[in-house]
Amino acid sequence: MMLEIRNLHASVDGREILKGLDLSVRAGEVHAIMGPNGAGKSTLAYVLAGREGYEVTAGSVTFDGTDLLSMAPHERAAAGLFLGHQYPVEIPGVSNLLFLRTAINAQRKERGEPEISGADFMKRVRTEAAALGLDMEMLKRGVNVGFSGGEKKRNEAFQLAMLEPRLAILDESDSGLDIDALKVVAGGINRFMGPERAVLLITHYQRLLDHVRPTHVHVLMDGRIVESGGPELALRLESEGYERHAA
Amino acid sequence: MRPELPTRRDEAWRWADLRHAEAFLETPAPANDALPETDHLWLDLAGPRQLFVAGQPVGAAAQAPTPDRTLPRHPLADLAAARATAGATLEIPAGADAGLVQLLHVGRGGAAHGITRVILGAGARLTLVESFADEGQDHWLNHRLDAELGPGAELVRVSRTLSGHGLVSDRAAVRMREASRFVHLTLGLGAASLRAEVEVLLEGAGAHAEVDGILLADGAAVLDALTRLDHRVPDTSSRQRWRLVAGGTAQASIAGGVAVARHAQKTDAEQSLKALLLRRTAAVNLKPELEIFADDVACAHGCTVGELDRAALFYLGTRGVPPAEAEALLTLAFVADALAGLPEGALQDALDAEARAWLARHAGGRA
Ligand SMILES: Nc1ncnc2c1ncn2[C@@H]1O[C@H](COP(=O)(O)OP(=O)(O)OP(=O)(O)O)[C@@H](O)[C@H]1O
Ligand SMILES: [Mg+2]
Repeated sequence: MMLEIRNLHASVDGREILKGLDLSVRAGEVHAIMGPNGAGKSTLAYVLAGREGYEVTAGSVTFDGTDLLSMAPHERAAAGLFLGHQYPVEIPGVSNLLFLRTAINAQRKERGEPEISGADFMKRVRTEAAALGLDMEMLKRGVNVGFSGGEKKRNEAFQLAMLEPRLAILDESDSGLDIDALKVVAGGINRFMGPERAVLLITHYQRLLDHVRPTHVHVLMDGRIVESGGPELALRLESEGYERHAA
Repeated sequence: MRPELPTRRDEAWRWADLRHAEAFLETPAPANDALPETDHLWLDLAGPRQLFVAGQPVGAAAQAPTPDRTLPRHPLADLAAARATAGATLEIPAGADAGLVQLLHVGRGGAAHGITRVILGAGARLTLVESFADEGQDHWLNHRLDAELGPGAELVRVSRTLSGHGLVSDRAAVRMREASRFVHLTLGLGAASLRAEVEVLLEGAGAHAEVDGILLADGAAVLDALTRLDHRVPDTSSRQRWRLVAGGTAQASIAGGVAVARHAQKTDAEQSLKALLLRRTAAVNLKPELEIFADDVACAHGCTVGELDRAALFYLGTRGVPPAEAEALLTLAFVADALAGLPEGALQDALDAEARAWLARHAGGRA
């Protein structure tokens, strides 16, 4: 099992948001997590990434068999966990390229690997940026500075491609994207996926799932997974909404 | 007679740490022929170099430059003029480009005073890097720079303090004629005490001064800067960008002054003072001082104190960057603006690398 979440309880500012969440993800699987606003989807993503202020009060999470919750955020990243943020942060004064290169080398150092060479780095940047429709001038600007909502999401997909994690938790990677950009980002996710990797796709809409086919679909409500199924569950939610679960 | 030093009761000195000036006021640095190890103290840039140890030139005859007596009086600068027995005079004839010159002042034991005199003829150019360091002992280095810029002349000066002990007080006073250009960067990296002053007299139309500073204070350092950009005639401009970073129990301060005389219309004076508090135990002081007596002027100024953006630190964390490295990266981004006034090229790159190295060394190890 790549990711195993058992009876996870977590609070923010003393308020319990996750209330006994269970989820298992194997390599090669794509899990879509859907649920109404405020259900706790981003909270789950932040808890898995290790954000401060998100306090785990009960339960366990293992990643490749090791205790994820005892690791610092940067250690989780180096171990192969990636969070695509719902709201990517702007960092003025740090170019996207410096940011990425620092990140890649920090992860390599943590894993005891040598640094990436400047030439290899630039070669990969060019390939991946072209695939995601980001131009080099944008990448020389501050991280996400002056990027539109859609450009920020493309930048998250670009970082996913560059960092090559094993598990990608993508929090609303589709929000703010126009129809063409949606296809581009979906293409990025599909290129990333493989038998050794897994994706946790947090989304509100079927339209992303038309392009990235999930193996599992879950409904997250009030801090728990209340229903799980296959791709057909997403289609049903699209027409019925969450009323059936509200009772 | 023992001269009077300023005290913290004087408004202009309220954030200064003059304990070592008091202690060494009547204690000159001991005579000693041993040469300090200085290889690591120079910037690795081509150009003539002169080393001063405890105020005395090494490998050159001691000769004290004549100070510019028309400059405003100043307690420490006047003391430097009275007591310095050596210094450097850099007189560049009209139209000549003197390139980059480095002067390194190393303090030793007691007090040492120094003067650098710069006279640039019309259209002459000079880049001057003056660095202040020590040999690992408490000391007081008291320095003054007197500069006159002829019409269209250009002076770039970097005042770079690396000292880990004692006190460095450095005051630059500059007279500017028409269409001259002055760029000054104060780089305070020391863990000790620094009093850095820059006073610029803009006396010719079209003169432009760029007075920037980076104070990186850690441990128990007290880094204190004061500027005064004195716009005395119409059509002059200035820009000041100061970036202060304080960690540990350090204190970093800047009083950024702009004065515009009554008839100095069309003055454009811009000022941006920003500080970053790395630890709640540190302190920063930002004080814009605007004395504006003309009405047709543009004086944009901004002043902010902040902490590192926690959302940005988390974002970097999720990409695999450890906290100390993330802090250093964000801090470097914060100070980088203040290097933008320097001409692009080797000097700017060297100072950027130096700030980067300082931040990498101090990241994580902060109290
Ligand atoms: N810092 C905080 N302090 C208090 N409550 C918080 C905090 N952050 C989140 N919450 C609350 O936690 C609940 C879950 O929020 P979360 O962001 O996880 O929802 P979500 O499922 O991602 O919603 P959306 O679909 O709108 O993105 C919400 O009620 C939210 O108001
Ligand atoms: Mg959310």
